[in-house]
Amino acid sequence: MNLNYSDEQVMLREQIQKFCETEYDFYKREDIVKSDDDFDSNVWNLFAEQGWLSMPFSEQSGGLGFGPIELSILFEEFGKALVIEPYLSTVVLAGSLLDNSTFSAKNDLIEQICSGELHISLAYAEAGKGYDYLTPNTSIDKKGLLNGTKTLVLNGANSDKLIVACNRDNIFNLIILDTKTDGVSLNSFSTVDGQSCSEISFENVQLDETNIIASGDEAISLIKDSLNLATLCVSAEAVGCMESCYLKTLQYTKDREQFGQPISSFQVLQHRMVDMFIESELAKSLLIKAMLEVNNRSDDMYKHVSALKSYIGTSGKLSAKEAVQLHGGMGVSEEMMIGHYLKKMISIDALFGNADYHLKQSGK
Amino acid sequence: MRPYSINQIKYIKKNIMNINFSDEDLAFRDEVREWLSNDYPQHVREKTEKGITISKEDLIDFHKALSKKGWMGYNWPVEFGGTGWSASKLYIFNKELGLAGCPPILPFGVGMVGPVIYTFGNDEQKERFLPDILEFNTWWCQGYSEPGSGSDLASLKTKAVLRNDLDEDYYVVNGSKTWTTLAQNADWIFCLVRTDNSGIKQEGISFLLIDMKSPGIEVKPIITIDGDHEVNSVFFTDVKVPAKNLIGEEGKGWTYAKFLLAHERFGIAGVGASMRSLNRLKEIISKLDNDDLQRKANELEVALSAIEITELRLLSALENGGHPGAESSILKIKGTEMQQALSELFVEASGEYALMYPGPHGYENNDKPAGPDFAAEGLSAFLNMRKTSIYGGSNEIQKNILSKFVLGV
Repeated sequence: MNLNYSDEQVMLREQIQKFCETEYDFYKREDIVKSDDDFDSNVWNLFAEQGWLSMPFSEQSGGLGFGPIELSILFEEFGKALVIEPYLSTVVLAGSLLDNSTFSAKNDLIEQICSGELHISLAYAEAGKGYDYLTPNTSIDKKGLLNGTKTLVLNGANSDKLIVACNRDNIFNLIILDTKTDGVSLNSFSTVDGQSCSEISFENVQLDETNIIASGDEAISLIKDSLNLATLCVSAEAVGCMESCYLKTLQYTKDREQFGQPISSFQVLQHRMVDMFIESELAKSLLIKAMLEVNNRSDDMYKHVSALKSYIGTSGKLSAKEAVQLHGGMGVSEEMMIGHYLKKMISIDALFGNADYHLKQSGK
Repeated sequence: MRPYSINQIKYIKKNIMNINFSDEDLAFRDEVREWLSNDYPQHVREKTEKGITISKEDLIDFHKALSKKGWMGYNWPVEFGGTGWSASKLYIFNKELGLAGCPPILPFGVGMVGPVIYTFGNDEQKERFLPDILEFNTWWCQGYSEPGSGSDLASLKTKAVLRNDLDEDYYVVNGSKTWTTLAQNADWIFCLVRTDNSGIKQEGISFLLIDMKSPGIEVKPIITIDGDHEVNSVFFTDVKVPAKNLIGEEGKGWTYAKFLLAHERFGIAGVGASMRSLNRLKEIISKLDNDDLQRKANELEVALSAIEITELRLLSALENGGHPGAESSILKIKGTEMQQALSELFVEASGEYALMYPGPHGYENNDKPAGPDFAAEGLSAFLNMRKTSIYGGSNEIQKNILSKFVLGV
């Protein structure tokens, strides 16, 4: 048994930290959030240059062949810096799905993702379906026409292509199409954590066999694995947020003086920060377990990812709320970073099944 | 090229992280399981499985069986007759015994005073006390807390004054100790006593071993809210203790006491025993068709997994050359909260039959007056488990430790 990161994994973390400190501080992030664009294309090109966009793809597809452990490291650090670039949608959700598929055009597509030229979104959710992503109403009829509406498509507005979960003859299918195809219309909006999201309608969109990535069991297993990996990634992001919430709150209470002393000298605050520290460590433990199970593709991997997601949904929100409370009035100020962790935690809990949903799944 | 390119670290081919135990450790786990099914005393197993409180004799039989296998010194180095086990074997041993429902190994001899004796005692003391601890010939108890000294242990007042009579050096001890677990069964007590009042309070404390048969010792039971007699008050009136029973140097007792607290690092979270309780609870709840209970059980299962992996992380850091820090305080806090939450859920699962009071020892032979078989099984445990967040440095004291050593405030 060894639960320590390898030297290379530590180096990877340090590289990402260095980037976040020098190129992606909170002011830079605020500039991106307030700009008309949903992300910064210079940053995205930088990601491509540094090899980050190639990380999870197999070497046969031109990637670096890193796995869920390295992705978890990346997302933990993204969480600390509150990175809003659309890595999750293009690289994890759509990219890993393509990489695992037998789709004929996948190598070209992955190459374009790695070089930063291509954005793809996975349209998995529908209104009224809750967290059931496997029985879509969106469907392809006998004539090959796609009709229906997908909701909460991350980065949909910026994507060149869409992968859509739909039904054909009551069989689950994954199809890919250009966002600009006739009959596709988008209604885009901002998310609570500064990303962009779209509701996408398909009206008699003509498809043929070349649009189909996979059908039936193969398609189900592709989307399940993609969503599972994405759930692991946002959970890792939450673990990063939790650590930052604890560390930033600790620093703030050491600096802030009231009654003639740093407020960190008050036991009532110390014990609350100890609780934040403990929760952060326990969440890290569940992350290590989950990422190793996914890395080994064990039978229990979904269950352990669910355990992690339910835990960070509850304790991550708690940590972020405590961080806001212990920052006093500064905690609710837009200009301070700390309140933005709370928005991130809300967004993470809402994605891919919230704490209640995954708690049930973990017990199955 | 910017400084954070990862292209040059594409040689990560082999991840070294691995959550599985080595083949050697797995073989050891099988050996522990074999001992549990063949040599763990049957009459003790039957009682713990039925939830009947075990007697003093049962506890002695259990410890003697461990001793016979050579496992009594589970946490000791080989040179003092211990097993010399690695951290992972120690972990496996604790977990398997907990999963099998064994009573906890009494910590006072082998876990507490033993390591103090072999670390700070002289050769004569090692020869005199260590073999009897390993064979469980002596039952030890712990004389730390006093009526006026709980969390502020260093304020203790039990006084030991050095005298000389007819060329014999001895201490005269006066005062009282409290919350002394199973003192009614004990042959010996290790005590923190005050030998000096002149300096700061920590510096005047000494570590003294006292024969419980000494004239002037009186043990009075304290009955706890579960109705049981587990803890006691121990009174000392002019008790004569040979000076050769002093461990190490006079005035250094506080240092030894802190060493002792840090020594019992593993098994502190009680993961194995909690897993056993959780499995039993899940079995009961699965038959009740109650979503609220199911949800609570799921929550505890996730939290218990987090505690287990946190303990494994600590263990892995140790085995790979790291040093454990204040993290064991996390395990104390979360492990005891878990034990309490599990025992509470047992009571909740009994529904209205939580009304039944089984007394301190459960219903004899499962002969319950009413309700389903599991009803009221957990009530005694629930009441008893309240102690866990209070003893061994209360959970609030653990948070003070974490504030100081982790938060740095």
